[in-house]
Amino acid sequence: MLRRDINEFLTQTGPGTPMGELFRQYWLPALHVEELPENDCPPVRVKLLSERMIAFRDSQGRYGLIDEFCAHRGASLWFGRNEESGLRCSYHGWKYDVTGQCLEVPSEEGNSNFCENVKLTSYPLVKVGDLLWTYMGDPARRPGLPEFEFLQVPPEQTYTSKRWQQCNWLQAFEGGIDSSHVTFLHSGGLKNDPLFKGAKGNEYNLNDTKPFFEVADSEGGLFVGARRNAEEGKYYWRITPWVMPAFTMVPPRGDHPVHGHFWVPIDDENCWTYSFDYHPVRALTETERQAMLDGHGVHSKNIPGTYRPAANMDNDYLMDRGAQRRGETYSGIAGIAMQDASLQESMGPIVDRSKERLVPADSGIIKARQKLRKAAVALRDEGVTPPGVDPEHHKVRSAAVVLPQAESFLASSRDAVTVTPGTPQASI
Amino acid sequence: MSPFPSESAWAASAGEARYRIDGTIVSARNARVIALDERAASVARRVADGPWAQAGFFTCENSGPAGDGDEIALRGLDGVPSTLAGLLATDPDVVVVLATDDTGRAQAAAIGRACGARAIMTAGVVLGDGFEADDAVAALRPYARVLLLSADESDVFELLTALRV
Repeated sequence: MLRRDINEFLTQTGPGTPMGELFRQYWLPALHVEELPENDCPPVRVKLLSERMIAFRDSQGRYGLIDEFCAHRGASLWFGRNEESGLRCSYHGWKYDVTGQCLEVPSEEGNSNFCENVKLTSYPLVKVGDLLWTYMGDPARRPGLPEFEFLQVPPEQTYTSKRWQQCNWLQAFEGGIDSSHVTFLHSGGLKNDPLFKGAKGNEYNLNDTKPFFEVADSEGGLFVGARRNAEEGKYYWRITPWVMPAFTMVPPRGDHPVHGHFWVPIDDENCWTYSFDYHPVRALTETERQAMLDGHGVHSKNIPGTYRPAANMDNDYLMDRGAQRRGETYSGIAGIAMQDASLQESMGPIVDRSKERLVPADSGIIKARQKLRKAAVALRDEGVTPPGVDPEHHKVRSAAVVLPQAESFLASSRDAVTVTPGTPQASI
Repeated sequence: MSPFPSESAWAASAGEARYRIDGTIVSARNARVIALDERAASVARRVADGPWAQAGFFTCENSGPAGDGDEIALRGLDGVPSTLAGLLATDPDVVVVLATDDTGRAQAAAIGRACGARAIMTAGVVLGDGFEADDAVAALRPYARVLLLSADESDVFELLTALRV
């Protein structure tokens, strides 16, 4: 249960809100790099943290993310012409560069300096890995670029997809640190999904449906350990890291690639889910890459030309009651990503957490909410930089390990949950 | 004609959220909080001032062997003595164990065992830097459905609030 005012505090991320200011302390994924594939390509509308922007790549290959609307009369620059190192409004020809600086106002006399005083709000847009990242906060506080491992490995070892999720970011994110739903909602995937099946750890998952949990602070957020019985005298641990504000990794299975998510608020009722798979020491196989493109694992099959999943609320997520009866899927929805999204979206755009009945197994969620709120308050009241801003905090891994029962999951897995480039993930 | 293309889209809309049944949530968790050491007792005293409907706060008197647990001596924050068996007879559905160091290691294990035998949910909140209470954590691990390892004593308040204690 969460008080209604705290629920609003955590779910509102627009300009001027405490959580909005918290998000604005971090580099955030703004676009997939494929959305701006070449110089002078069509501009793309972007909405993040309830701000409408336009992204473009100019003639020199520079990326820009600027206010969507022309300073002149408020027309959308999506209709603009991306040419000759700038984006020109199609209405009256005003032209802007990637910093939002107005370069030309054709109606002015040639020696007018009027346009020098016209500048649209802009944010940096930088390619790191397969994503274009932006920082929407105070330039004086801009941190170093993100250093998550999925961004650092060679391109042949990583894959990232993107999908629109029609609910508030928090209820999507909370699914990422809730390990207890896997045994139910994703039980079909553990047996059938090409990016999950075949791992020894799956047997532990399926044989023990009542995991125990340990939740521990990390420098950047939390580690959530879910423990199930393994062989005599041993536990199977699945360790999920959360790096604030919205990065989580799924513990690995066998030699399958490691996956995870980054949730970014579009506005208070929609978010982007960026889902990645990477392998720390080898290239993804063609079969694995094709499975990701086909929407297996944590990825979704999207409507071509969009980031909207093909199975979505408008078609009841292609519910298949027959597959549900046959046990092929637990909920009747195909694909792990849409199994999660369908239930999270069914809660409504912003779920009323004052009506919840949480149980101790939800302690990861309880703790994460507390950390978010405390960080937002400390930032607002004292200017304290929140956890997860420092790129050093990004160098974490998920892990799946079998340990003697007496051992602490964190003390025994310190190396396993820390990125060491060129070493494989700890996985069962 | 519905503006929504499917029942799922209609049902998940903000407008439809208004029609969720707004029933009173009457039953709170019936929780007992047991502080295993002195610092944990101080935390329990601070947290006990919260707006709890069904919670009891106790300190653990023993520091020696805990036996089968039933005879572990407890004391309510009002000073009234009790035993673990007496506490568990009051029908709690969750027992939260607080520890900041290892002095209550034996009691932690015994409380966990006793709760496990009665199918009572056990949660542990271990406050501190994670090293001073290593043994208490290890003792609780087999029994506590959740262990929260934290440097923040407000976790206790947050946990009880979230659980509707």
